[in-house]
Amino acid sequence: MERSYAKEIALLRLGEGEMFEGEGILAIAKGLLQAGVSYVGGYQGAPVSHLMDVFADARGLLGELGVHFESCANEAAAAALLGASINYPLRGAAVWKSTVGTNVASDALSNLASAGVVGGTVIILGEDYGQGASIIQERTHAFAMKSQMWLIDPRPDHARFVDLIDEAFALSEASSTPVMMEFRIRACHMHGRFACKDNRPPAVSHHSPLREPVYDYGRICLPPSTYAQEKHKIEVRLPAALDFIRKRGLNEIFPGRHDDIGIVVQGGLYNTVVRALQQLDLADAFGGTDVPIMVLNVTYPLVPDEVSDFCAGKRAVLLVEEGQPDYLEQALNAILRRAGSDTAVVGKAVLPMAGEYTAEAVLTGVVRFLEGSLPKGVDLTAAIRVLDRVVAAKSRAADLISGELPRRPPGFCTGCPERPVFSAMKLVEREVGKVHVSADIGCHSFSTLEPFNLGNTILGYGLGLSGAPGVGANFDRRVVSVMGDGGFWHNGLTSGVAGAVFNDTDGVLLIVENGYTSATGQQHIPSSEARRDRSPVSIERAVRAMGVRWVRTARSYDLGRMRKILREAMTTAEKGLKVIVARGECQLARQRRIKPLTRRRLAAGQRVVRTRYGVDESVCTGDHSCIRLSGCPSLTLKDNPDPLRRDPIAHVNDDCVGCGLCGEVADAARLCPSFYRADVIRNPGWWDRLRDGLRNRLVPALRGVE
Amino acid sequence: MTGDRPIGVLIAALGGEGGGVLTDWIVRAAMRSDLPVQSSSLPGVAQRTGATTYYVEIFPRTHRALEGRRPVLGLYPVAGAIDLMIATELLEAGRAMREGFVSPERTTLVAATHRVYATVEKMAMGDGRAAAEPILDAARRMPATAILFDPGADDRARSLPLNAIMLGAAAGSGTLPIPEDAFAQSIRDSGIAVEANLAGFDLGLRLARGEVVLAAPKSPAPTEAVAEGWPADLAAALDGLPGFMSDLAAAGVRRLVNYQDADYARLYLARLSRLAAEVRDQAALREAARHLALWMAYDDIVRVADLKSRPDRYRRVRDEVGAKAGEPVRVVEHFSPGVEEVSALLTPALGKRLFAWAERRNLLDRLSISLHVESTSLSGYWRLRLLAGLRRWRRRTWRFAEEQALIERWLGAIGAAAEKHPRLAREVAECARLVKGYGDTHRRGHGNLLRILDAVAAGRLDADGVARAREAALADPDGKAIGRVLDQRANSVTFSTNPAARREPQGG
Repeated sequence: MERSYAKEIALLRLGEGEMFEGEGILAIAKGLLQAGVSYVGGYQGAPVSHLMDVFADARGLLGELGVHFESCANEAAAAALLGASINYPLRGAAVWKSTVGTNVASDALSNLASAGVVGGTVIILGEDYGQGASIIQERTHAFAMKSQMWLIDPRPDHARFVDLIDEAFALSEASSTPVMMEFRIRACHMHGRFACKDNRPPAVSHHSPLREPVYDYGRICLPPSTYAQEKHKIEVRLPAALDFIRKRGLNEIFPGRHDDIGIVVQGGLYNTVVRALQQLDLADAFGGTDVPIMVLNVTYPLVPDEVSDFCAGKRAVLLVEEGQPDYLEQALNAILRRAGSDTAVVGKAVLPMAGEYTAEAVLTGVVRFLEGSLPKGVDLTAAIRVLDRVVAAKSRAADLISGELPRRPPGFCTGCPERPVFSAMKLVEREVGKVHVSADIGCHSFSTLEPFNLGNTILGYGLGLSGAPGVGANFDRRVVSVMGDGGFWHNGLTSGVAGAVFNDTDGVLLIVENGYTSATGQQHIPSSEARRDRSPVSIERAVRAMGVRWVRTARSYDLGRMRKILREAMTTAEKGLKVIVARGECQLARQRRIKPLTRRRLAAGQRVVRTRYGVDESVCTGDHSCIRLSGCPSLTLKDNPDPLRRDPIAHVNDDCVGCGLCGEVADAARLCPSFYRADVIRNPGWWDRLRDGLRNRLVPALRGVE
Repeated sequence: MTGDRPIGVLIAALGGEGGGVLTDWIVRAAMRSDLPVQSSSLPGVAQRTGATTYYVEIFPRTHRALEGRRPVLGLYPVAGAIDLMIATELLEAGRAMREGFVSPERTTLVAATHRVYATVEKMAMGDGRAAAEPILDAARRMPATAILFDPGADDRARSLPLNAIMLGAAAGSGTLPIPEDAFAQSIRDSGIAVEANLAGFDLGLRLARGEVVLAAPKSPAPTEAVAEGWPADLAAALDGLPGFMSDLAAAGVRRLVNYQDADYARLYLARLSRLAAEVRDQAALREAARHLALWMAYDDIVRVADLKSRPDRYRRVRDEVGAKAGEPVRVVEHFSPGVEEVSALLTPALGKRLFAWAERRNLLDRLSISLHVESTSLSGYWRLRLLAGLRRWRRRTWRFAEEQALIERWLGAIGAAAEKHPRLAREVAECARLVKGYGDTHRRGHGNLLRILDAVAAGRLDADGVARAREAALADPDGKAIGRVLDQRANSVTFSTNPAARREPQGG
């Protein structure tokens, strides 16, 4: 990272009674410190990257408190780190993006949950579900059920978050079970406030270290301990957890006067439900409600008597449960039927089975529930009018703006070093034919979108190469796998490269090395050169050490060379894995570093050369081939100034960072000569001025231009 | 249960535009005013140039007045309950309206109405841009109040940070219970680019109050200056053409005098008057006048070298890259003529031989001179002028002969089509649109045009068919779509293009 987190660290230092105002994920970080956590580990990913970034930068504060922090190699490593709490009374936390990170962590999590813990163990999950999610849409709930870990889904409110983190550690200790806390993406990025407590230095830390190792075969995940552990989960840990949840009142009930119905909601969706009720005039701005609400801050396990009590005497309850399968709806039905209750449970019948529960989805569900359950004294005509107005606004907009609006997915940034790699691949495809591309997770997944549309499958982070041999063995030309440097270190080196060498896989691996895990916010990895405190590990050397013989490293912006190497990799007679390392620093990180420097130099009157590209409007004919081979955001269109022409021409806007790809593409693909590079010399020196003066005298066209 | 309700502010922006900073400014201003506020967003990968949204809820009563009571604020924008919709771009404003976030009863829409094109719009071979007018019209008519401005229309607005302008416009819209100065203070507190952001904020404020209007400067259509002046007979010949095509024909004459000489412009006018005698349809004639001029002024290295070494061009480059007076600018051209372009400049006999030799050795795409000419340097400039001077030789080149032959073929096809149906003539004339670009692109365009002309000559395409085939040719660069259209038309008779014609050297 090239960012400084000094402001955020100051927030983590706040003491008793001081007001924290900031992002949800930082409130969570503060909550961990207030709960007396001994160690924290994790792997970055939206929406929890910020916690990792700030902790990585807060080594001073953490050192004072005695909190150990690890940037783990991947989520499995982070989960395994929690093993420290199996034998010792250490509070530990792990952080990652779910469900993808939970998938990676599953091996360690199963073992951790089976062994059980002595020290409180909390897993902070950034639940990336719904609009804007970059990952597969699944529920973390299933992991909680299969491994018997408790799942907290807190009501979105900073104070509640922080309280529940403390409670989660206590719950974990009371029931010897790891506790997962899921924070939805909007809640992580939610801005809010709460009154702080002092940070609590951990009871055990390097300030007051452990003296003796604890040996207990009962904690080892081997038979016969595992049999005893499974029984222990059901006979001891679950009842202890139910007891704790009930006694501490982790779930909340908001009573209301229409007590013949009710709403049961996952904590994370509480605000959305209240907003829907407010729109229907059934709740006030402060959460005072006419319809009783039960907020499940703990969504696994459900406390049977708690929910039965809430539902007692009600004709129907609405269960607001996001995602599928409808685990909660099934569980609630089972609990009520076993208890002999005839309260109807209405859930997915009026709410979407799949997809995010947006304000509109929940509003619609609540209205349909009310229509069906006919509560006493609710005026439904008003409720339905609210929905009608939304429908009317939408249909009016659709009348005025007809047709599909062009979609605008995220893509490579201006000047991104990954773009030229895929431009080169497009060009090589013209020679060797279309190629099957086994893509990977990272910014480079944007290659699957326009204008490249390169990438046939994505199987997981660092699994680009592992996903290729099945196709490659059955294909008449080589398959290209892609991997970022982030994925390479996450697991690609072993599961991909070592595996391919071991199996004599014949194929091409393209490693896009931009120096960071860029998609998650430019965190450092072993090969990062930006890290000043140690020397980087060379990817090329790591790959050679695995036994790869054919390795080429190239600057990604050197399109000609990239193309030549790719062509060679695709056509060489040499068998085995061919690895291409395409290097170029993440442009976001680079600009973040360079911009302040440039500003300072300009302000100090020092010479600065700004390079950017342009298109000659009289030469461009408006075919847009250049755009189809680049897709750079700064390479755009403008109206054709030529009275004889109509199609818009290409145009480079002022966001250009001068990477030069457009010009290289025009050369390499022999497109057109309309691109030019311009170096503007700011604060020119005497030599620049002299040369410029001479030139202006000798080049007639330049005379009088300035 | 009525009473105060939260104010919903939805911001639609593009990744990298500073939407997060804008959100933060609003949140800080609300905090400074002691108002309960909550924001949420979907950054993640949406930061990377994609469409993204930020949502803010502000409760209109201060913490002090609430005496410890805390409103429940939502994390999701609610269709029908947005008070202030901010969109930093027109298409995103359109998206917000389509999703129901602009309510006619409640919403103030503050939108920058410039276009930032999406990749799918940009990559189309012709013009793939979404129509802006319907969105603009809806933006004026849909919301309860509309504050719309085009920051791209004004030099000063363009130079200021867009998110700060949007903040100013939001502050000036009167929808938020926050004094204007609290917003400005947010900018000062952030400590980053304070001066520029405050200037942007101020402009936004005045835009919202209607104190300034950003209007697109009406630039007159640029007319090409003709150095040598107009020979009298050209003016007379122009007058002889039907009046409805005179503007385009005049532009064409100017283009061709500059491109070659007055004689070449005479040939243009002669071709036009011949066509005017055969064709009645006005639209067909106008299109023909336009395309004929463009085609006759086909792009070759001579033309490009000339365009790149003109005084007005250097002025334009300086303007475009924002060079201030006294700042030297070095310009380097990406210019790599290959075998095609060189053989195009030789006599037909020589050119054909060179081209055939290179094709046999598969060197067409490999052999090229990468001329990264620095056109602002002495030697670079004179090299370009030398190349530009080859125009006196142009009439003797292989490419010239080939282009004239193809032009005659196309003109003949228009005339022949006019005998069948005026619309067919119009569609055939419009097909010259396919001829553009350089190298590959140009070769492909020629090929596609010939395929269509062949099909018309064989009576396999009517006017609709020609239009469909033309659109198909523009739909994808691989020629799949046009292949489908023509094959279908040919009733499963396999359509073959004229291979000899396809190999014509068409570089530029």
